[in-house]
Amino acid sequence: MSRAATLLLAVLAFWAVGPLYLLLKVSLSPPVEVMTAHPTLLPHGITLEHWGRLLETGQVLPPLVKSLLTAGLVAVAALLLAAPAAYSLARLRERWRYGILLGLFLFRMLPEVSIALPVAVVFLRWGLLDTVAGLGLAHLTLVLPVAAWVLTTAFLAIPREIEEAAALDGCSAWQTLTRVTLRLAVPGLTVAGLLAWLFSWEEFVLATYLTLGAKTMPLQVYYYLYQGNWFLTAAAATLMTAPVLLLTGFLQRHLQAISLAGAGR
Amino acid sequence: MKARILLGLAPLTLYLVAFTLVPVASTFVLSLSAPGDGITLEHFRRIAGHYQFGQAVVNTLGITAIGLSLELGLGLVAALALTSRPAGRKVFQVLLLVPLGVPTIVAAAMMRTVFGTVGYLNEILLRLGIIRTPVDWVGPRGLALVTVAVADAWKVTPLVLLILLAGLGTIPAELYEAARTDGASRWRQFAAITLPLLKPALTMALIVRGVDAFRIFALPLALAGRGLPVLSTYAYVEYLEYGNPHTAAASSVILLAMILIAVGTYLKLAGPEEVLR
Repeated sequence: MSRAATLLLAVLAFWAVGPLYLLLKVSLSPPVEVMTAHPTLLPHGITLEHWGRLLETGQVLPPLVKSLLTAGLVAVAALLLAAPAAYSLARLRERWRYGILLGLFLFRMLPEVSIALPVAVVFLRWGLLDTVAGLGLAHLTLVLPVAAWVLTTAFLAIPREIEEAAALDGCSAWQTLTRVTLRLAVPGLTVAGLLAWLFSWEEFVLATYLTLGAKTMPLQVYYYLYQGNWFLTAAAATLMTAPVLLLTGFLQRHLQAISLAGAGR
Repeated sequence: MKARILLGLAPLTLYLVAFTLVPVASTFVLSLSAPGDGITLEHFRRIAGHYQFGQAVVNTLGITAIGLSLELGLGLVAALALTSRPAGRKVFQVLLLVPLGVPTIVAAAMMRTVFGTVGYLNEILLRLGIIRTPVDWVGPRGLALVTVAVADAWKVTPLVLLILLAGLGTIPAELYEAARTDGASRWRQFAAITLPLLKPALTMALIVRGVDAFRIFALPLALAGRGLPVLSTYAYVEYLEYGNPHTAAASSVILLAMILIAVGTYLKLAGPEEVLR
């Protein structure tokens, strides 16, 4: 039984990791190994020419910068907006709290296309298309419910007695908040911030609606894909995947929040 | 105290009203508004008569059905295999979760290399002698649907696996011990203990993934393009390529309605408490 389980897991693991290997391999393979009726499965020659060309085109740096700025903005803004709300939710009566959390859950289920369409129409008028600020504002709609959810859990885990003890020791309300509560919430804040960053970094649908020329990384990858250039696609895709793989590795324990947040469209 | 709580909630609430509720409401208005000030169902009538829209509905439902079966099936099998404490459990768990760390558009890029006509799946199948000529995996519509569902399953089965692992973790080991003492077979233990106690996790996975599958966008667009419209990409093409916000809005409203029906059914079946646990 156990051997059957191991065999099965080995097959599934092969399926899970194989495509990632292929992407990396294509990005490093000489074209003769790939652009043929019979592509080789193992790497025979290794070349950096596709990576070199990706940098030479100069097409990848602006999207990289735009995506980095947007994701950074979204992470910071998400914490600023969601943390006070989550703190309040954690101090609210249970019935109210669950009602509001359920409401946030429903917000997360709305289709992006029904949000993106009017936002794109309005942002066109406001001159916010193609801007970091505009895209960041839109991304926050997807990120905030999740961030509030994660942070509420984090604040709930901080016992109220600790705050009461701080108050007894003569801390003002503000001091209690900054020196005790927020410090204890740092792990939760980190997770929420990283989740927000990841969401924005790989978001595709809203970016498609709100972009005319200044692409983000996902749009740049899609552009190469659409052109049918396997090598630039593979190199750019690998480039944008690296930080995500690292961060999700770090976030392993909190992955369920990602699952509730819904990824994979 | 009360005032402070309201103050804390205000920014988030205002934001979500302004940037989510108002847009969704104006999509609704857009789908019904006639030139001038009138209200019309003309946009819905137009998409209903549109060949591509009918296809989009069928494709969305098809991808959802095939994708969910694959994800729940594989996720459950993998979760059970992992909890049976096989050799190398930790390593397998890390490897199986790798697709979570891959952005959707990158998953699409990978799947192109796998499912392309001169892609790696065809090469493997040719070498194994299973096929004689390369298969066009995104050519015929039925096959393209399956391919997109498989690509989606690659990306999100790990999420289902996580939800199910958490669910399996809540089942007390004593139950199995008691069942073994009573001489219950493995299958009987699965049917009488695991499955019923896993139901909340399974329904949770079903609804979260179901709603995501309804909204699927990047994978069908990147893998099959116009050949395989789904509701999201249909709305996208109507607006950005044909410049018609009204029909785009109408199809978004249909998608929204499908999601609300699914979520409503789930809440009715599971009860809100189960959702939030």
